[in-house]
Amino acid sequence: MKPLDLGEEPDDGSGPLADVLNRICARFGLDYAAYAGVNTVDDSMHGVVNYPDDWKAHYVEHGYQLIDPTLLAASRSVGVVDWNRLRDFDSFQKVFRDAAEFGIPTTGLTIPVRGPFGDKGMFSVVSSRPDEEWYRLRSEILVAIQTEATLLHDRVMREGRSMKIMLQPTLSVRECEILQWIAAGKSQFDVGVILSISTRTVEVHLRSAREKLGALTTPQAVARAIGMRLIYPI
Amino acid sequence: MILIIDALNRHHHQSVLDEMFQLRARVFGERLGWDVRIENGREIDEFDALDPAYVIGLDDDCNVVSCVRALQTTGPHMLADVFADILQGEPPLRSATLWESTRFCVDTERLILSGRGPGSVSRATCELMVGSLEYARNNGIEDIVTVIDPVMNRVLKRSDNAPYDYVGETVQMGKTKAMAALLDCSEERIARVRAFAGIEGSVFVDEAALVKARLRKAARAEGLTEYFIDQLDMASSPEELAAALALIDAVLGPQKGVATESLLPVHMPDSAG
Repeated sequence: MKPLDLGEEPDDGSGPLADVLNRICARFGLDYAAYAGVNTVDDSMHGVVNYPDDWKAHYVEHGYQLIDPTLLAASRSVGVVDWNRLRDFDSFQKVFRDAAEFGIPTTGLTIPVRGPFGDKGMFSVVSSRPDEEWYRLRSEILVAIQTEATLLHDRVMREGRSMKIMLQPTLSVRECEILQWIAAGKSQFDVGVILSISTRTVEVHLRSAREKLGALTTPQAVARAIGMRLIYPI
Repeated sequence: MILIIDALNRHHHQSVLDEMFQLRARVFGERLGWDVRIENGREIDEFDALDPAYVIGLDDDCNVVSCVRALQTTGPHMLADVFADILQGEPPLRSATLWESTRFCVDTERLILSGRGPGSVSRATCELMVGSLEYARNNGIEDIVTVIDPVMNRVLKRSDNAPYDYVGETVQMGKTKAMAALLDCSEERIARVRAFAGIEGSVFVDEAALVKARLRKAARAEGLTEYFIDQLDMASSPEELAAALALIDAVLGPQKGVATESLLPVHMPDSAG
């Protein structure tokens, strides 16, 4: 397995991943974000962070990626891991004390992402807000950053040659049907009426279709589905 | 009260997990007749090796009375694999904000035996529902797809927690049928179940306090075991033996199966003679 290189960028030509992290930080009012992922199929590791360069250098120099509880412990969780939960782990003090010395806030959380082939990603966000404010922000942005974390992970995994083929979106008949009606200009409510299902069911299938297509928005998902000939252009 | 166990805290709660696997064996293997693998009185499958999260309900004496298992739909999960029949060959839903819940069960025997009546059964069930919905919601999860049988489906409907829809078909699964239901983790749904069962305040247990309480309980049970062995040793007639066993039943409750099985073979010949 290739060692974790925090500066490594997949060369897919769709812009550097660090830009994605910067955009997420700006949109949700966060200080820093970090992503690390293990591609079990192509046997590679990827990492990208927007931490200051001196902390990045210090982190890699000390091999903290090998002991960092936000990577190792958090990757085995199902739910979001609040960093407070990691205090009991041996390496917590070492990594977090150093982080604090470099001016990196120690309030944050890690979202573990699991892919279908045993691939795993850890998406962390950091905030310098006081506790009360942080917990309010946390509950407001959690749904959105769960989605961002999976999109980011899937994007990185698709850089792997074998994974790219395996991760070809497989939409269900229902998902295609709903995207086709959306492409025909129907609202989610309309689609629910046409297919005799609840609006919530339309939404849950649409969300799944968006994420399988690696799309943030429904129009983007429709465009990709047409491009991949999963639905017909109208 | 509800305890969440995942890979990060499971080393603190090994005995709770063990009780949970035994509960699953009793419910899915014996009572419901599901096609599950039971070894050494415990029902454990390959998804338990994937570090799932368990939502576990405990009674006032810290016994495990209910449980359910959660996995992300972005990774390996049961609908994508073993329950693929339900989806009729269709690819499963995959979403960052959709979790799959499986192995939902409640120990109805223990609750009835404990003398709290059938009313407490639905409360334990509702508490587990509230616990799992709130746990998901606190993690930014919007919906749950849950693999259930028709009995559980009726329980959901009766407790004002009816699924808003289903995916795939209802299919035969061993002796029973299985289906995949959709539940939103909205505040409205949680409020409805809470109101139905009269559940107020936090349902989540204080982990440190639970660990201490279970240690105390284990120590107490050990002391009692010696006393019970003495009672059985001293029993000189079948009537006295029956009385001693009844006492063990009354005190240890549902653990009696284990206690009498391990004690009887040794002491029966004495009392018969």
